[in-house]
Amino acid sequence: MSQQEQIYLTPMPVRIWHWLNAFGIVTLCITGAQIRFPEFVNLFGTYKAAIRLHNTAGVVVSISFGLWLFYYLFIARTLAKIYIPSLDDLKEGLFRQGVYYFFAYFFGYPNPHEATPDNKFNPLQKAAYLMIMLVLLPLVIASGILLMNVDPLRGWIILLGGLKLLVGSHFLIACMFCAFLFTHIYLATLGHTPFAHFKPMWTGWEKVEHSGEQK
Amino acid sequence: MCNARYLLLLCLLAGITGLSDAARAAHNESCLGCHGEKAIVNRGGSRLYLDPARFAGTSHAVIGCNSCHAKVAASHPADGIRPSRASCRDCHAPVQQEYGNSLHADKADCVDCHNPHAARNHATVSGRDINEQCAKCHEHGQIVGSHAKWLPQTSLHLDALPCITCHTGSQNYYITMYITIKGNDSPTGDFRLATHEELARIAPGRQFVALLDSNGDGKISLQELRKFNKGAADMRLWGMMMPEVMTHSFQILDNRWDCTFCHSSGPKAMQTSYLAIPEKDGRYNRLTVEKGAILDLLYGTPDFYMMGATRSHTLSVIGLMIIGGGLLMPIGHGTLRFLTRKNRKEH
Ligand code: HEC
Ligand code: HEC
Ligand code: HEC
Ligand code: HEC
Ligand code: HEC
Ligand code: HEC
Ligand code: HEC
Ligand code: HEM
Repeated sequence: MSQQEQIYLTPMPVRIWHWLNAFGIVTLCITGAQIRFPEFVNLFGTYKAAIRLHNTAGVVVSISFGLWLFYYLFIARTLAKIYIPSLDDLKEGLFRQGVYYFFAYFFGYPNPHEATPDNKFNPLQKAAYLMIMLVLLPLVIASGILLMNVDPLRGWIILLGGLKLLVGSHFLIACMFCAFLFTHIYLATLGHTPFAHFKPMWTGWEKVEHSGEQK
Repeated sequence: MCNARYLLLLCLLAGITGLSDAARAAHNESCLGCHGEKAIVNRGGSRLYLDPARFAGTSHAVIGCNSCHAKVAASHPADGIRPSRASCRDCHAPVQQEYGNSLHADKADCVDCHNPHAARNHATVSGRDINEQCAKCHEHGQIVGSHAKWLPQTSLHLDALPCITCHTGSQNYYITMYITIKGNDSPTGDFRLATHEELARIAPGRQFVALLDSNGDGKISLQELRKFNKGAADMRLWGMMMPEVMTHSFQILDNRWDCTFCHSSGPKAMQTSYLAIPEKDGRYNRLTVEKGAILDLLYGTPDFYMMGATRSHTLSVIGLMIIGGGLLMPIGHGTLRFLTRKNRKEH
């Protein structure tokens, strides 16, 4: 038997933010699909309902992003530590973690990364979340806000290269979010049990098995 | 079909009055000698003046002043007799009938919307011209307010749609692009519809059309359109969704509540488009644009995009490939995971 210990990994504000964001983005993906492909997707009755819901979810996700940024920058002050890969991470961490996911995992080796409140994410996670949270999400929010106000912000849209370029970027980034979602949810099932990683996102407590003690 | 009737009528009129085109033109000239000069305003107000250039561009110039103002005596204006005016219905019976049946008939008369001396048809006006006709009675701010109750981004819609697109019953629609130019020097400068004179200044010494239609075949190919859109920084093309035919059945149509009337693409929707260039006489000359240009990925119409209706097929495919990439992980990794599940049980 391995020795188990509980650690408080995910504070309450982060959990609330996470689920708000998660449901928001799933909603945005589905309504977005109806907005772009109304002949094929019709889950919300009318087009107008899809647009309304998309706009509402868009605002919710934007605000929740703002809160997240505020929390990590000014309250927890751990944004850099948690999300930005260190030099070591880049040099070997990424590779090590990749080898684990695509090779070692299948042979039953343990995860080389051990989550602590200050170092929650493995190097691959850091790279992916950094990209999602600090590049793609701001971009999709900015393009969404412009699309919500095409007439008042026309000058800016023209400056950025036109409405089509804007919608095109919004759409492609949206697809990346959708792709990320599949990967993200799947990887979350790779814990000790399929739901091991989901529980702490509700309760905050994560069961940790010390690798030294293992077997 | 209507036009054939008008033509017949035209011949008939010409036959009755026994005038050749040249004679009628000379006749117009004699009236315009006074009524086409600004000075006439001093002799009875601005209503006496009519813009000869604009009149010359109308079909009404062909039939001549006398067809509508018969029996203007040689002693005019000294005789003090007010010349007669023909009624529109004399020649436009089908329109009169259609309009007479509409709910709008007792709200406005033909001449409330039309100036017979500057009459144009729906293919030779901009959507904005049409909206100005309606704005004489339907104050713009009030219309924005009442439509905003159900239509999001109302001012964008009212800028990209003439009122008649929603309030008359045309079956088909197309996108007409108008040239707008930068109104001021700020980087996000206001763009507004360009006039004939402004465009003439941009292309001095030659036809402005040549900037767009570089091979001079009277049609705009997708390539020519892209070239123009990439090159012209101070000019943009402003798209408007126009009805294919003009009907005078002004009405509220229930299916216009349904956004997918416009925001959804059937197999043939949004394939037809035109580019309209303002002429000296105030009309627009409409050039045919290659089919499908509106659906081009980026440079066909960089500023016109209707959600759901004008999406680019190429972009959709790229997007679906990205999503497919995201599924690779659960499917590929998941399969291997399943096959190697025994390895992990040992731990
Ligand atoms: C010599 C200058 C002159 C010429 C040529 C002339 N008009 Fe006039 N016309 C006038 C003036 C001045 C008035 C205003 C008379 C008044 O208010 O008593 C007028 C008035 C009119 C009116 C409207 C009057 C009203 O009060 O509603 C019509 C219609 C009209 N002219 C048509 C014509 C036509 C058609 C011709 C050509 C066959 C023509 N005119 C040629 C000077 C001219
Ligand atoms: C298609 C018919 C038609 C033709 C062609 C036509 N007019 Fe008229 N004209 C009218 C009508 C109808 C009115 C009355 C408009 C109104 O009530 O607002 C009018 C009004 C006028 C008026 C007086 C404006 C006023 O408000 O009372 C003048 C002057 C005039 N026309 C001159 C001319 C001259 C000059 C020509 C030829 C160059 C000409 N018209 C050609 C139909 C025509
Ligand atoms: C004497 C006959 C006659 C009268 C009266 C007449 N029209 Fe016309 N109108 C024509 C003809 C002919 C055309 C050309 C038909 C076409 O090309 O469709 C025309 C075309 C038009 C057009 C389309 C413009 C264009 O360039 O194609 C409008 C708008 C119009 N008329 C409005 C009116 C109005 C409004 C009145 C009443 C004030 C009126 N007409 C009176 C004969 C007349
Ligand atoms: C409420 C406004 C309104 C009224 C009233 C109205 N029209 Fe029009 N009509 C338009 C508009 C808008 C067009 C599109 C072209 C334009 O803007 O001039 C048009 C176009 C036309 C055309 C050209 C047809 C075409 O294919 O474009 C004719 C002819 C015409 N009208 C005749 C009449 C006659 C005759 C009457 C009176 C019985 C009348 N109109 C009343 C708004 C009106
Ligand atoms: C001469 C004035 C005048 C002009 C010009 C005019 N309208 Fe109207 N219209 C009215 C009046 C008055 C009403 C009734 C009051 C109201 O609903 O605002 C009306 C009502 C309407 C309605 C509502 C009809 C209904 O069933 O309730 C529509 C739609 C409409 N107009 C469309 C147009 C369009 C489109 C144009 C321009 C092509 C136009 N109008 C130009 C005076 C005008
Ligand atoms: C996207 C389609 C669309 C466009 C564009 C549009 N309308 Fe409407 N309009 C409608 C519908 C649908 C209604 C019925 C809504 C209602 O009864 O509240 C309506 C109602 C109206 C009414 C009657 C209610 C009221 O507001 O008094 C008028 C008048 C009117 N429109 C005029 C105009 C004019 C003028 C324009 C152009 C500036 C215009 N509309 C453009 C779809 C449209
Ligand atoms: C008569 C056609 C028509 C109807 C009906 C219509 N729209 Fe639009 N819509 C347009 C056009 C045209 C544009 C502007 C495209 C441009 O200028 O780039 C537009 C733009 C938009 C935009 C801005 C984003 C974009 O595509 O550029 C939104 C959001 C939108 N419409 C939502 C709706 C909703 C919701 C409804 C139903 C309540 C609706 N529309 C009904 C024609 C229509
Ligand atoms: C990851 C999250 C998001 C996804 C998956 C997504 C997806 C989409 C898609 C597919 C479209 C249709 C574009 C097309 O026709 O090609 C769209 C349109 C739009 N999106 Fe998003 N989007 C997201 C985030 C946002 C945000 C955060 C906002 C607002 C702040 C927003 C606002 C809009 C607006 C305004 C439109 C135009 C249609 C409308 O008015 O609803 N989106 N989105």
